[in-house]
Amino acid sequence: MRRWRALAFALLCTVCAAGAAVYVRHAARRTAVPSAGSAPPAEHPLGPADGSSLAVGEPAGQGAPALLFRSTGVDAAYGKLVLTPLDDVDARRVVSTFSCERVDYAGGRGVCLNADRGVATRYSAIIFDRRFQPVATLALGGVPSRVRVSPDGRLAAVTVFVSGHSYTGSFSTLTSVIDLERGAYLIPDLEQLAVWDGDQRLDAVDRNFWGVTFASDSDRFFATVSSGGRTHLIQGALSDHTAHTLRGDVECPSLSPDNTRVAFKRRVGEGIGPVRWRLSVLRLDTLEEVPLAEAHSIDDQAQWLDNDHVMYALPVQEGGSAETNTWVVDADGRGEPRVLVGRAYSAVRVPPIRINP
Amino acid sequence: MGHRSPNRSPRATPAEGATAAPAFGKLSRVGRNVVALGLTSLLTDVSSEMVTAILPLYLTFVLRFSPLQFGFFDGLYQGVTALVRIGSAVRADRRRQYKGVAALGYGTSALCKLGLLAAGTAWLPTTAILVVDRLGKGVRTAPRDALIALSSVRAHVAEAFGVHRAMDTAGALIGPLLAFAVLSTAPAAYDAVFAVSFAAGVAGLGALLLLVENRSGSAASERRPAVRLRGVIALLQIPQFRRLVFVGGLLSLVTVSDAFVYLVCQRRANLDPGVFPLLPVAVALAYLLLAIPAGRLADRIGRARVLLGGYAALAAVYALLAWPVADAPVILSSLPLLGTYYAATDGVLMALASRALPAPLLTSGLALLTTVTVLVRLVASTTFGAVWSWRGPQQAVLLFLIGLVGALSVSAVALRERR
Repeated sequence: MRRWRALAFALLCTVCAAGAAVYVRHAARRTAVPSAGSAPPAEHPLGPADGSSLAVGEPAGQGAPALLFRSTGVDAAYGKLVLTPLDDVDARRVVSTFSCERVDYAGGRGVCLNADRGVATRYSAIIFDRRFQPVATLALGGVPSRVRVSPDGRLAAVTVFVSGHSYTGSFSTLTSVIDLERGAYLIPDLEQLAVWDGDQRLDAVDRNFWGVTFASDSDRFFATVSSGGRTHLIQGALSDHTAHTLRGDVECPSLSPDNTRVAFKRRVGEGIGPVRWRLSVLRLDTLEEVPLAEAHSIDDQAQWLDNDHVMYALPVQEGGSAETNTWVVDADGRGEPRVLVGRAYSAVRVPPIRINP
Repeated sequence: MGHRSPNRSPRATPAEGATAAPAFGKLSRVGRNVVALGLTSLLTDVSSEMVTAILPLYLTFVLRFSPLQFGFFDGLYQGVTALVRIGSAVRADRRRQYKGVAALGYGTSALCKLGLLAAGTAWLPTTAILVVDRLGKGVRTAPRDALIALSSVRAHVAEAFGVHRAMDTAGALIGPLLAFAVLSTAPAAYDAVFAVSFAAGVAGLGALLLLVENRSGSAASERRPAVRLRGVIALLQIPQFRRLVFVGGLLSLVTVSDAFVYLVCQRRANLDPGVFPLLPVAVALAYLLLAIPAGRLADRIGRARVLLGGYAALAAVYALLAWPVADAPVILSSLPLLGTYYAATDGVLMALASRALPAPLLTSGLALLTTVTVLVRLVASTTFGAVWSWRGPQQAVLLFLIGLVGALSVSAVALRERR
């Protein structure tokens, strides 16, 4: 009897293991990206795939500015960094040999948040120069969410989701500031900052920071902080480790190039269920708020194309797919949103490209 | 209901540890049934931890929940098990169907994985299924622990719990690894994670149904006392059990949730963010390695002694966290100590309680004890969070350290009469 049961259990385990294996294999085929599966590991340098050297911003002011973004088209370039001149968005040029989940570039330095999908996925921030050569790599504590480089290219702020584990029993975001010159963490956890709401110090344990954006002096910054179930827009200075709240209900701020306005996502609709966000712009002098013409829910930290236009990503198909397009809409609430670049995510405007054959 | 001295209560025949297959080697002392229950928990933990590990990603990226909403549901999951613990335990005791009620719990959770697969990206069914999954956990815990106690030799009951907890923790370590292995093979294919989790859950249920034997006790058939909720409360009239509930509740009141320990670690040692996900792994590894030795030690030198020793390890954890010099090695040495605390307390408390309870109400008593500790811990976490906001992390840890030392002294006196 006992032997029969042990045999039955062994059989059951075999069936379960085989069933699981078949399912995973089927899923792997379904999600396979042509040739991207063979993408080389992180040791390979970022650089133009065809071997010619390529740089942005030198010499300055020649040709059209370019867009740098993560390619989301399901092809060999899936997840790679792509550059394209703004006046000819179809002239795509792959500039990385490996993938980025999120990217930003400013002041001659860029940061790519990479997911190295091994047995246990490891996440890292790769710092690269204007020639797309990596200069340093830092381990990240969770799943990449946002990255912003300061205008002078000296600092970057990275937000990750600290992923769950029943032993931690909690889920939160972790925002760090990286010193790009040294290639090391400057502030490992932004929660070390003192945040003031009027004359009250916000010090709840559930305090969370995300979505940093730097002002042109690369010291002043804006970010979202949540505390006790509310989100606030905060303004602070890294040099004196303090910040204060400006306004409630602002997430993922993005400062305009002229530093006068903040584009952000505002939560619409309360209660439970999937969250919806409306893309809006806030004037910093009057705290006047303008909802933009985009009616879809936007879950992105917007980028400014210039002082009058805001860029953001939207899934190609409603309901979330791996493919996204980058859209652009007027920053004053008027106009119609339009696709700026197809199959693009995390787009950022960069200086003109120079190619040395 | 007429409870009686635990020494004379009708107990299940001791497990046939001596006749267990030699394949189990040294584990034979704890009995085949305990190992089979351990296997059940290992497979089930692989199944549930796979889902737990990817849940935040799934909820935020696929279902588009905000972190705040996620926090709300997380709290809901934790609280909801308390609702069903005692009810299912009374049921298990009434029919002496420990295995049957446990199977209901394990089966529910396994089925929920299939439900997640079917629910796709619809958020309402998904959250409802996740709550039911947790209910399954609440249903199965007490009858399973009762079966462990009933299946082990009296002199080795703490060791039996140690073996079970070690296997359980091994599953909890494998689960997340397996989940991320699946996601690396099939990027963003969360359904594949649910499918593998379902398979592991079915295997776990199979281990329970096929390999675990129910222990209904020899006297069961002739006299089956009506088990009522009032009778469960009356268990507190047993001095030994009352003392354990008191001690368990008191110590839980000064126990900080792990999440806070990791947070304090990270803030005070200024850890590189890349290290953060490894902190729970360090604790689980220590727990895994020490669960069996701690159980053995408890059987040899006294279970109450080891239980108190475990809380002394927790006091050491607090002392290190509150240490004036924020030195990374000092702070990080608290992690293996936290694992030691788990190894010396979690199973050992159940072993102590199972010895103090009359067999007809064993499950109900264990459920009562865990309900008390779970609820008190919720209070403790809220208190700790409030003190943290008010006076900062170091003051909060210091306060809990003082409280724990006090609670330890009181507990030592309360448990002394047992020896």
